[in-house]
Amino acid sequence: MDIEDKIKELERRNQEAELGGGSKRIEQQHDKGKMTARERIRYLLDKNSFDEIDKFVVHRCHDFGMDKKKIPGDGVVTGYGTVGGRRVFIFSQDFTVFGGSLSGPFGEKVCKIMDLALKNGAPVIGLNDSGGARIQEGVVSLGSYGEIFKRNVWASGVVPQISVIMGPCAGGAVYSPALTDFTIMVKKTSNMFITGPQVIKAVTQEEVTPEELGGAMTHNTKSGVAHFAENSDKEALDRVRELLQYLPQNHREMPPDTECTDDPDRRDKALNKVIPANPKIPYDMKDIIRVVLDDKKFFEVQMHYATNMVVGFGRLSGMAVGIVANQPRSLAGCLDINASMKCARFVRTCDCFNIPLVTFVDVPGFLPGVQQEYGGIIKHGAKIIYAYCEATVPKITVITRKAYGGAYDVMSSKHHGGDINYAYPTAEIAVMGPEGAVNIIFRKRIEQSDDPEGTRQKLVEEYRNNFASPFKAAELGYIDQIIFPENTRPRLIRALSMLKQKEDAIPERRHGNIPL
Amino acid sequence: MSDVTAPMGGKVIDVKVNIGDVVNEGDEVLILEAMKMELPVVAPEGGTVKEIRCKKGDAVEADAVLIAME
Repeated sequence: MDIEDKIKELERRNQEAELGGGSKRIEQQHDKGKMTARERIRYLLDKNSFDEIDKFVVHRCHDFGMDKKKIPGDGVVTGYGTVGGRRVFIFSQDFTVFGGSLSGPFGEKVCKIMDLALKNGAPVIGLNDSGGARIQEGVVSLGSYGEIFKRNVWASGVVPQISVIMGPCAGGAVYSPALTDFTIMVKKTSNMFITGPQVIKAVTQEEVTPEELGGAMTHNTKSGVAHFAENSDKEALDRVRELLQYLPQNHREMPPDTECTDDPDRRDKALNKVIPANPKIPYDMKDIIRVVLDDKKFFEVQMHYATNMVVGFGRLSGMAVGIVANQPRSLAGCLDINASMKCARFVRTCDCFNIPLVTFVDVPGFLPGVQQEYGGIIKHGAKIIYAYCEATVPKITVITRKAYGGAYDVMSSKHHGGDINYAYPTAEIAVMGPEGAVNIIFRKRIEQSDDPEGTRQKLVEEYRNNFASPFKAAELGYIDQIIFPENTRPRLIRALSMLKQKEDAIPERRHGNIPL
Repeated sequence: MSDVTAPMGGKVIDVKVNIGDVVNEGDEVLILEAMKMELPVVAPEGGTVKEIRCKKGDAVEADAVLIAME
């Protein structure tokens, strides 16, 4: 072979590898509305930025006639490139090759790029589209999953990890996405479950479709396993690009600032009217969040899950912030098990990656109920406390209305390390609501009165005026400043710039023991 | 047709529809008082009110069907 032949041979082999499972399977992939593994990478990464590694890796399985079936790449495309000019590492499972099933060498390829990502401090993006373990490889496949999970854990809190589910993801395969920071699912074409509908039918007689069991909306509304549900492969990949803008490359860096064209001193009179005069009437907390952020842009995370809690990202004068907020419009904004888990997880995600937290509080309390107690609201509610107390990023709090009882404490209060705690004049910060408090404090007086109901009403009104306000808390220094709602944006931006150099630490330990 | 269910346990303080009324998705059909708040309960889908299974003042449990639709 002369040099020219050798170059031609490389070209031929490259083309062979790039065809994956062949044009027929690529067509089938397209017919399902799915892009191929390579198309996805091309769409996500900056133009011409992708460098592929391990393109010619093949499996080493000799059983079940597998030695006669080898496809270069072995079902996963791996490498590195850039998104918005910033380094990322990526693996993209190729459903056209052995159904994207995971072999030993497939796992080794994924681990190789994860190791590179860890050493070089850059995010890992996993595009999942796989039938699961490659059964022909037996326990080798399980070993590979295990190696990937271990790296997911080691990378947790070191570099951002984002999973996109763009096809099946079943059995052990679900645990890699579950260990990452964010999971994005494509509607209709993706699903995730530990055991599929057939196994469930055989074991428990329950009949359920794959979509009902583990489709995008199931995991975005019921289980909370996923953070985003998107209409197509392209929209899911767009979401990855958007999400990366709010995240640093690794835990040692700050999230990137962007240029801000929105006036940092912008006030909005409309904010004075968002909170209804009657404290029993709900309103949409997102009306406040949007108005306050740069360009009124709020990037919501887990939009469909536990809607009584709102979390997401935005910018204040170009600085990325994580927003946490109670939503009075949904379940009165109470804290229940799901809202607690959603909140705590997001707070920890932000703290991992140096993203300051801005918390908007309007919380009537924890949700009472037998199911909540049996479900462990005690330990789940404790997660919020744990997450806020351990977070050392700048923490700013705005109490817009209710902050009652234990729920006051847990929502980024001064006592849990809130750096700057604001309240609106409409805030009601008290140990409990006026009705409940009056019934306890003045029980005898009400009972002995000639007009118990009238006396009760009068006392409730007195209590409301004296205690259901921000002033008692402000007298104690629990609230740093009572602000006019219209000034929320300028106040937050000033507090955030004041806290930009914040250094803080909690006592050293091997690791904390968050209630799980 | 999706029935209207209680999003959480609470007290019905107002029923805003009658049997036979045609409602659209998102229309407020009932007000529930829970956690010191008056929560509007909306129709999950458009349809006709077939049966009202609660009245003003009733205490209802989470997920209970309050209004059956057809």
